[in-house]
Amino acid sequence: MAIDSYRFLDFATRQIMKAWAARQESGVIPFTPLAKPLRACTVALVSTAGVARNDARPFDQDGERRNPWWGDPSFRAIPLGTSERDVRLYHLHIDPRFGEADLDVVLPMRRLAELAAEGVVGSPAPTHYSVMGYILEPRELVEQTAPAIAERMRAERVDAAALVPA
Amino acid sequence: MLEASGIPTVTLSMIPDLTRAVGVPRLAGLGYPMSRPLGRPHDADGQRAVLRATLEVLANASGPGCYVELPFEWPESPAVARNASKGLPPPPIVDLLQKKPWLLARLYSGRVPGRDGLG
Repeated sequence: MAIDSYRFLDFATRQIMKAWAARQESGVIPFTPLAKPLRACTVALVSTAGVARNDARPFDQDGERRNPWWGDPSFRAIPLGTSERDVRLYHLHIDPRFGEADLDVVLPMRRLAELAAEGVVGSPAPTHYSVMGYILEPRELVEQTAPAIAERMRAERVDAAALVPA
Repeated sequence: MLEASGIPTVTLSMIPDLTRAVGVPRLAGLGYPMSRPLGRPHDADGQRAVLRATLEVLANASGPGCYVELPFEWPESPAVARNASKGLPPPPIVDLLQKKPWLLARLYSGRVPGRDGLG
């Protein structure tokens, strides 16, 4: 594989991620075709950087400090127009300073609006989302958080979503 | 999960072999460092190019498991990129494993203790 971002990681993290990749079993992959051309789609973004607005509840960093095997599986809605002045990044496994200097590094809402103005996509969704990406036990994320995000996206007639790691 | 509820998705990943092993509908692999998935702060043109290429994977994928390697190169060496984040406190799990290194096998295997099952 040509892509090798492992070289940006320390040795231990690299070994753990490779072990996880080797052990992971993939089930049936769902696939929903785009219902319309991209240039007509309303697009939403989901960041795993643990972005929360300053007027919202922070992701639970103390809970993770008490139990390092646990990560906060909740999500935060981030309305379009939110900027780095309005948020903090609560992911303890990344360097939050880049996204806090320029939110588009992790949640590119302004870039998406520009692509809409260029006609590449139809429009940015009114609301975007963030979760916190360190979750070893993903049951609550899968069973509660993701369906809740999907429901809000459907209510805002989102046609497609881009998931952005951190 | 979003895909199964009827919303088409594309997943950007800097660790595409791990993301691919999990199995996602459409995957865009990118050789950028963690914490900076779209590129450097204030590099609007670079960020827009990454987002645009990612969304093109969304538009062009014909079936599940589609994988595209994006053609972007990080402009710094891995050492420089790693050094940019020096001095941050280590994540709690790293702290724990430094004190109790025998727990590393658990992390390695993915056998995660329950919420109250502190190692």
